[in-house]
Parts: sequence; C-alpha cells; structure tokens
Amino acid sequence: MPLDSSTYALAHLRVDGRRWKELRRIHGQMSTQAAADGSSYFEMGNTKIICTVLGPRQPTKSGGRDQSREAIIEVEIGVAGFSGMDRKKRSRNDKRTQEMQYTISSAFASTVFTSQYPHSTITIVLHVLSQDGALLAACINAATLALIDAGVPMQDYIAACTTGSTASYASNDEDADPLLDLNGMEELELPFLTMGTSGGEDKVNVLVMETRIQMPRLEAMVSVGLDGCKQVRNILDGIVREHGKKLLSSR
Amino acid sequence: MTSLKRSYASSTTPSTTLSSKTYLRTLRSGKVQKVVRELYLRQDIPCSSQLCSTCIDLAPAGFHGKQDPPVLSATPAGTTQYPQGHYLVPDTNAFLTAMDLFEAEDAARDVIVLQTVLEEVKNRSLPLYHRLIALTKNEGKRFYVFFNDFRLETYVTREAGESINDRNDRAVRKACSWYGSHLQDAVKARQSARCPAVVMLSDDRENLRKAKEDGLIASGLQDYVSGLPDADRLLDMVAASRDQRATRDEKAKMVYPEYMSMSAMLTGVKAGSLHQGTFSVSPYNYLEGTVHVPAFDRPLIIQGRENSNRAVSGDIVVLEVLPKDQWKAPSSKVIEEDDLTKNENAENEDESAEGVVTEKERRALQEEVKRAHGKVAEGKPQPTAKVVGVIKRNWRQYVGHVDKDSVRSEAKQSRAQQTVFLIPMDKRIPKIKVRTRQAGDLLGKRVLVTIDSWDRDSRYPVGHFIRSLGELETKGAETEALLLEWDVQYRPFPKSVLDCLPAEGHDWKVPADTADPGWKGRRDLRDLLVCSIDPPGCVDIDDALHAKLLPNGNFEVGVHIADVSHFVKPNNAMDKEASLRGTTVYLVDKRIDMLPMLLGTDLCSLKPYVERYAFSVLWELDQNADIVNATFTKSVIRSREAFSYERAQLRIDDQSQQDELTQGMRHLMMLSKKLRAKRMAAGALNLASPEVRIEAESETSDPVDVKTKQLLDTNQLVEEFMLLANISVAGKNYSAFPQTALLRRHAAPPKTNFEELANQLKVKKNLELRSDSSKALADSLDTCTDPSDPFFNTLVRILATRCMMSAEYFCSGTQAYPEFRHYGLASEIYTHFTSPIRRYADLEAHRQLAAAIDYEPLDASLQSKSKLEAVCKNINVRHRNAQMAGRASVEYYVGQALKGRVLTEDGFVMRIFSNGFVVFVPRFGIEGLIRLRDLGGGKEVESVFDAEEYSLSFGERKVELFEKLKVRIEDEAEEGTGKRKIKLSLV
Repeated sequence: MPLDSSTYALAHLRVDGRRWKELRRIHGQMSTQAAADGSSYFEMGNTKIICTVLGPRQPTKSGGRDQSREAIIEVEIGVAGFSGMDRKKRSRNDKRTQEMQYTISSAFASTVFTSQYPHSTITIVLHVLSQDGALLAACINAATLALIDAGVPMQDYIAACTTGSTASYASNDEDADPLLDLNGMEELELPFLTMGTSGGEDKVNVLVMETRIQMPRLEAMVSVGLDGCKQVRNILDGIVREHGKKLLSSR
Repeated sequence: MTSLKRSYASSTTPSTTLSSKTYLRTLRSGKVQKVVRELYLRQDIPCSSQLCSTCIDLAPAGFHGKQDPPVLSATPAGTTQYPQGHYLVPDTNAFLTAMDLFEAEDAARDVIVLQTVLEEVKNRSLPLYHRLIALTKNEGKRFYVFFNDFRLETYVTREAGESINDRNDRAVRKACSWYGSHLQDAVKARQSARCPAVVMLSDDRENLRKAKEDGLIASGLQDYVSGLPDADRLLDMVAASRDQRATRDEKAKMVYPEYMSMSAMLTGVKAGSLHQGTFSVSPYNYLEGTVHVPAFDRPLIIQGRENSNRAVSGDIVVLEVLPKDQWKAPSSKVIEEDDLTKNENAENEDESAEGVVTEKERRALQEEVKRAHGKVAEGKPQPTAKVVGVIKRNWRQYVGHVDKDSVRSEAKQSRAQQTVFLIPMDKRIPKIKVRTRQAGDLLGKRVLVTIDSWDRDSRYPVGHFIRSLGELETKGAETEALLLEWDVQYRPFPKSVLDCLPAEGHDWKVPADTADPGWKGRRDLRDLLVCSIDPPGCVDIDDALHAKLLPNGNFEVGVHIADVSHFVKPNNAMDKEASLRGTTVYLVDKRIDMLPMLLGTDLCSLKPYVERYAFSVLWELDQNADIVNATFTKSVIRSREAFSYERAQLRIDDQSQQDELTQGMRHLMMLSKKLRAKRMAAGALNLASPEVRIEAESETSDPVDVKTKQLLDTNQLVEEFMLLANISVAGKNYSAFPQTALLRRHAAPPKTNFEELANQLKVKKNLELRSDSSKALADSLDTCTDPSDPFFNTLVRILATRCMMSAEYFCSGTQAYPEFRHYGLASEIYTHFTSPIRRYADLEAHRQLAAAIDYEPLDASLQSKSKLEAVCKNINVRHRNAQMAGRASVEYYVGQALKGRVLTEDGFVMRIFSNGFVVFVPRFGIEGLIRLRDLGGGKEVESVFDAEEYSLSFGERKVELFEKLKVRIEDEAEEGTGKRKIKLSLV
C-alpha cells in the first residue's frame, strides 16, 4: 500500500513528488501521421493520446442531405483496452465516452470558424493509448494540436487541464490546497474539475466537474485552473512554433 | 512515419527530474495489476533543521501561503553516546517493535521519519501507521517526515536482483548519509562547533553492519535505549527484537501447529471448506472458545489450546471443522487459568517438557470429553473446530498485574532482566510473557502491557510493558485500569478542542435582542411552563418537558432538548473529539464527558431559571394520547424548575399544589401512562437488568452501602416522552434523508438464543416461554411468575435480556425498511435524539433534523453513507464499552463497599456447572461462582451433575437451577496477587 493523498499535509508534496501548482511533464508532437489531414501525439504525464483530424470534407453519411450552414464537428474516441490498469474494453456506446465526445465537439464548435465550411464535417479521432488522469484535458489539447496541423481556421487554442483539492468532500477541510493537474491516483481519491480556456484565460470553453466540492473551495480551484490552462497554452504554443520552424527549414 | 519516442531530458520545470517507478500489486480478488507511476525528483525539499539556513527558503508554501516552520531543534538532546546531541533516523523495524518508546513523553525527540519508512510501516501495520502520523502532528515531539524518495540526492533505484527490503534499507542509509553531510555544511556555514549526530536506529543486524561500513552512525535499538537516562523503564517498552527471537528459534521446538497461508485460507473460506469468524472465549472456561460462523446456526466450539492455536479473544480467525467423532456438548465445567497453570515458569518454559498442553489442562479436558461421550447431555453434541489461521489480530493494550509467583524471589530488588507473567484483568485473555528489568517495582501494581507476537514456539504470547498505573486496589489505578480496558478516552480535552468553545465562557447568554443571528429561525417559547425531571444531582440536563390543555380538549406537549448542535459545528476539533468519544461514560464516582464541561453542564444544559437554546418537538395529542400533529423547531426556552424524580413525584401526588406547572405535569403523567399502555399492547418488552446504586460518604466518596435502584412513575413519564420524541424524529429524518438518516435498530433475536432458557423454565418450573414475536415474548414473560417468590419474574427477565441481540446505530441506506424495527420497543423506526450532551448519535440526529426542517444546510459528512457508517460503527463500540466500563465500576465499588464485611443474603442459582454453580445476589446485583472445591475445603467433592434436570448433588445437598438459597458474602484477598475478590459461599 503506497502512501496516498492524505500525506500531502505532511510536507506539501503530492503522491508523485510535485507541489500543488506544478503541471506534469507535457510533451507533444504534430504531424505524426502523414496520411491524415492533421495529426498529433500528446502526453500529459502518463496519459498518452494520438489524435487525427479528417476534413473539412463532405459528410460521408448517407441519407438526408445536410443543409446546415456550418461545419459539423464529429468526435470519435477510442480507448485502447490496455490503456488503463486493468485490461478493459470500452464499447463504442459507453456513456462516459459519449459525454466526452459531446464535450469536445461543443468546445471546438465555439472556437473553430465553422461557418466557413457549410455542408461539411470535421472529424476528430482520438485514440487513448494510456490513461493516468486528466483524460478529457489531454484529449482537448491533442485535438487542438491536430486541428492546427490540419489547417482548420480557429480563433485560438483551447488549452485544458484539471484542478483538484487536497481534501475529499466529506472531510470538509477549509485549509485544503487546490491542486493542479491530477494524476490517475489523485483523481480516484480527490474531488476535481476539468477546464479548458482559450485566449489566454479570457474565455472558458469547457468546465466539467463530476465530484462534489464545497463552494468556498471552488473559487481557489478555478483560479488555479485558469493559471494552469495558461501554462498549458504556452506549452502548446511552443510545440506549434517548433513544428512551424521545422516545416520552414525543411522547405 | 515520425517517431513517437520521447526524450526524458525535456522536463517541465528545471527544479525537477522525472523518473518513474513500476511495480506489481496483487488485489484482494487475486488479480495482479501492474502500476506505472511517475516520480518527480526535486531538490527543494528542506531538511527542516533549525540549524540549516539554506533550507529555510525552501520551506514549501501551500495555496494559502502558510509555511511550515523548521521542525527539528537546533540543539537536540544529547545522550552518553552522543554528547553533541543527535537526530534519530529509525528504520521500519524500529517503529514496528518500539512504537511505545517513540510515544513516550520524555524520550525520542527530534526524529526524522523517512518516506520510505513511513510507507513500509503503512504496509506492515495500519494502526501503527496512524500512531506514527499522530506523532508527526505532535509539536512537542518534533517528528519530521522527510520525503527522501522525492529528493534527487537521496532517491535510490532498485537494482536488478535486489529485494525491495534491501532497496529500502539502502534508501534509509543514503538518506542518513545525506543528512550527515548536509548538517555538517550547515554547521560550517554557521561556524558553530556542535554538530548533532544523525543516528540511524535499526534492529536489523545486516543493515547496521552495512551502515557501519558506509561510515554512518548507527545503533541497535537496545544499545541506543541503554544509553538513555531511565533506561530500565524505556527498555521494557521495546518489544523483544528480532535478534533475540532469532537466537531462540534455533533451540526451541514448535509447540503450535503452523498457520495456513493467507491465500489458502481465503480460497478455503470461499469454497466453504473453511469458516471465518470472530473468536470469543468463554468467560467461565478459558480453554473453550466459540465462533459464530454464517454457515451454522449455533456457534462452533473450539476446545483446548492446541485447537485454538494462538488465537486471542477478539481475533478474526479461520476454522476447520473437526470430524464428527470429536464433536461435543459445550463445557459444563468452570476452568480458570490460574488454577491450572499456577506453577508454570515464565523464564524457561522449554524445560517443562510438556508441550503446549500441560498435564493438568489435558486432564481437565479429558474429563470433559468423557462426559460428552457418556451421555447425550444438554441436547446434541455440537460441532467443534480448530483454528487454522488468523485473518486479523485484534490485539489491544491490556491491563493486568504481574504474577507474583513468576518473579524469581531472589531477584526482587535486582535490575536484572527477567521474564514474568502478566495476568490480564480480562479472564479471556491468556497470560502474557513480559521481559522486564523492574519486576520488583511492578509487583502489586496495575500495569498496562501490549502483546507483540505469539510465535509457534511459545506457549504464551509475548508482550512488552507500557506503563504502570499505580498500586492495585487504589481508586485511581483501578479507575484508570477499567477506562483503559474499555478503551474510554479519558484524557483532558486538548487545547484545540477548548478553542472551539464560545469565547464568553460561562457568561454566555441567549442574546436579549431577538434580531441577533442566533435567533434566526428560532421560536420564542420562553413563556411556556417548562420543567426538567432528572436523577438527583444531575448537572447535564438534556431534556425538559411541558404540557398544556388546549381549548379543543387536546393537549399540547413539548419535549425540549438541549441545542448542542448550535455550539458544536460539524468537523471542527470539538466535533471530531466528540465523535471519537461517542458517548459520555458514567462511572460511580466520575463522569468522563463527551463534550467539555462548559457546554455539557452549563451552556447546553437546560438549567432552570435561565434562558437556553433548545430543539423542541411539539405535538398535539388527543385524550387517548394519539398524535394529531407534530412540529419540530429550534427554540428558546426558560425552564421553570429542575426536579428530581422523587420531588416531581411528590409534587404530582400532592393535591394541595394546583398551580399551572403542576397541572401540566399531571397531564404529562396521565398521557405517559396511556402511551405506555399502548406501547405494551404493541408488544414492547419490559426487561430487567440488575441495577444498583452506590451510597457514598459525601466527604471521602468512599462507598458505604449498596442499594438497588428504585423506579418511580416519574421515571416512566420522562422515558415515555423521550421515546415518543425519538420515534417522531426518526420518522422525520428518514423521510427527509432516506439514504443517510442515522437510526437505531434492535434486531429480533434468533430463536436459538431462547432455546436454552425456555428449556430450563420448562424443566424446572413447567413454564412456557414463547419467543415467536416480541408480543408473544412479552406476554409469556408476564406469566413466568412464582407465587412464592416475587423476584423470580425479575430473574427470568434478567436472563431473557441476556438472550437478546444488542441494539445498534445504523445508516438508513444500509438496511431495508423492515430491518429498521426496534424489537424491544416494538417500534418500526427509532433513533436517538434526546441526549445530545452525552451521546454523539443524538448530535448527528439533531443536525439531520435541523436540515430536514430547513433550518440550516446539512453538512457534507452527513450526506456520505460511508462516513456515516464509520461513525455508526464507532459509536456502537463506544456505547457498548461505556456500558461495560460503567458496570465494571459498579462492580469495583460494590467490592469496596463490602470490604471487610461478612453478610448473609438471598441468592438465586442462575447457572449450573458440573463442578460449581453461579449465584446471583439481587441485593447487590452481583453474580458469583461457588465451586464445589471451595465447599469441600480445597478438595473436589464427590458430586452428581444432572445436565438434563439442571441439578447438582453433592453430599446431602442438592442444588437446582432457579433455587433460592442463602449465601454468605465476604471479600477475600487472593494470596498470589493481593487482588480483592468477592467470595460467595453456601450457608
């Protein structure tokens, strides 16, 4: 039985040795699959995602002509059976997966200039290779990179991260510190929320919380989350710029 | 295709380096998981010594900007070995074997607890881990947790082929060497001369050797403690080290069979070939234990030491049922440990080549078996079993005294270490072998010890001494002993708890201004004629009552309960302490409060003539005492008078009193009688337990006499309305919180519980006891009378009470509605609401009710089923322990009251064994065993035991069950121990 999150109070150190406001190691690459219109590979700690973007293109679905004046963003998430601690196959109709798909789709609908592509579909396909917390946040970040790689015009990056609180809901500890970027073990034990912002920290595109938390603690979590999203945005920006440099020099 | 390979070099922040660890873990289900976790190694974890100036800037700050000050003192204490002062770095074994030493007030300060060690302690023993965490929070002890596995310099990777233990030992050594050099640098920077030594404490020879090789300062536990002042006392707190155990292993032979492996046991239990349950030892026969297992109605019997295989009462064990030819009836003989094994030698037990079962024990058992085969007595033989393994030890600290005979007489003044036997107060616990250097001092004292281990080669468990409570039979020592024995938290409230009290202290008053926030949502009931009725001298007044006649002929009745939840807010230190204590414990001369005095006896207490906050339940009752409606409200009341039961009774009976208050009380009395009649008709039980009151001399509080408690109508008056309030509140809370209401239930007893008693009544008195329902039981109990003896009915009720299940608190989401039933009260739903000053359950019910009436939002802890279940579990245990402690206290005082007196009293035979019988003396509420051997002046008397007729004949005398006889009561100091005991004998 390794130590759990209850030892945070002893020395302000989390289960993996981080402080409360530190992100995990973030690593990303773009254009990883030549065949796709846009693709990326993204890691937040041990959460690893491959993302490919198809489109914008004509809707492939048969039946009923699409009359919409805006592009539709479709999201497909495939969770690999080996990605978690236990080998488990998630079905396509898994409710959690569906909810994540919906969240990602509506988040990007607000930042992609969808009106430029009437009667078309943009498909974001996400493959989860490994899960260790912040799954939704990592998916959003990976999709941002892949969309940029595909050259889809959008207002800004959506950068996402999770924030939590050091004490569980029931322990009702007022001095609980907010935590940035929870890993899988912390997510199991602590209340947390996922947020995604664009434009630095001006606009919150995604805010999802499934656990309970006392109101007074929420404010601190949100402010730490905004700050975390800003950091993530800078990292994403760095990845994009580096990729751009490489493209230019190879020409 | 672009490579997905990544480099570890690119890390997020410059101060951390990434590493990862991978390990396997086995789940309880047998599944193996591979866990991969990241590790961020950093260089900003402070050493936390006040000597070090570089680490001060490193001290981490949380979100709220609070920084932890350095923990370790700049001038730690020195010893003879380390005159320059020292910091201790214990390894895991040191904590496992000597936690009591580290907890000792005056030893082991400035301790560095390594993360590696903390983790290992957690793996090995959760209770010890919690004690260690508590120590790190104790500021005076200066324990610092150093996260060595997160610091770059001290992180150690496991090498190929290295065992995890070796890796951890290496991590400890590395941390020690880092601390050593780090401190030297710090001292150099300060230019002071004195550099404290960093002492690694270990019990592992190999680890010590390697540490010495690396040039570290390291010491074995024993060696280290020997260098401390007061070493003798402290040494006793260290459990026998592995070294000593190892050397003994070689020559000792195994006296107990080996346990099965954990996985084999779990598979066996799952498959149904083995059984799991809690081991409990018969209080009359220490060689016989019983275990209730789900597979059988009746408990399995475990006979003899070999079969019980080192299980101690309370352990969770796994059993294998023995073949049918070894089945037998439960023992009908009294066997006490000190009779049989009086002369054993604690020092060199392997010389007495008798193995695990001594010759005497074997003979005692043999007689049993013979009789079991001889005739089918007391029903059929029951399945017997043997213990094949222990799932969980439930060892605690035990209070007892040192067996005088086990101390070498010539050594009484010496300081040499010797092994002595400690005889626990609890008869079901075996003697404990304790090594001590202060045997002479400990003789005749109450001592606290703990069991460390029970190895296969030792006939008795091995333990170590914790502390002495004082002389045997002194009031202080005996009271503390029974508090410890029943795990009652009796220390004064810590400062953090007292800080939660209102700042005004005793001057706190209900605000005069009704616009004050305290008045928000409260009804002003100050003009009601409220009074309280309690036992004489009661200071923590929980409840008050009022009644008045309404114009429509109905009655308005109010029960007003102290509003404790106003003062005790959820989750503060006071609430946590109260939830831990669970209940106030009443001893004869002492009360151990759940809440601090200020609240319990003043601010919350509904004292007369002053205004107090209350939580009121108001009913409109019609002439038949049926509820027309009920309302619940927070309120302010002013009690007009605090009556004792007697005075209230006198006032009601005194027809010259015609004031409104007395009229109200008469209404209450009338209604309570109707309520009671209705309850009885519904099948509520009227049970009895022997209750006595100690009359004490007012000055010295020495007991002078014992009286049985008297019950007046006013007692029942209060009881009826409290029950009514509890039932109403239970219904309200349940409807508001169907999943998380805290309720109390009393399960119907299984039929088999009454079989024995019913049979006894049938055989001896030709009476029938039916137990199909509580109504049937109540009715048949009423018929169990003996015209010649009015007490006989009470006796039957006492015996019936013992067949009952005990009532318990539970969380409504964990049971189905039909299971909510309170059997004894014949109520569908019940909770405790009326005594929040002295019971934590009531406090929680108050909070739930306040939320149910929208007075305030419900705290999170009361919405979580798992949290509530934990609370229920704790208060159930505390409640039972408090009762036991109270009873033990009465017993002790009865003993003191009878000291030096010889009395002849009436007694009743409650139980018959083949070599003695148990007599109950109602006058003092005591139960005592009369053994034939004592009647015969030390020799066994020829006797005939008839188990079917429940009689025992010896000489010309024949004793039968339920027989009334005269007994002589005297007290007797036991020779071996100097312990006082009440002794009964036949006249």
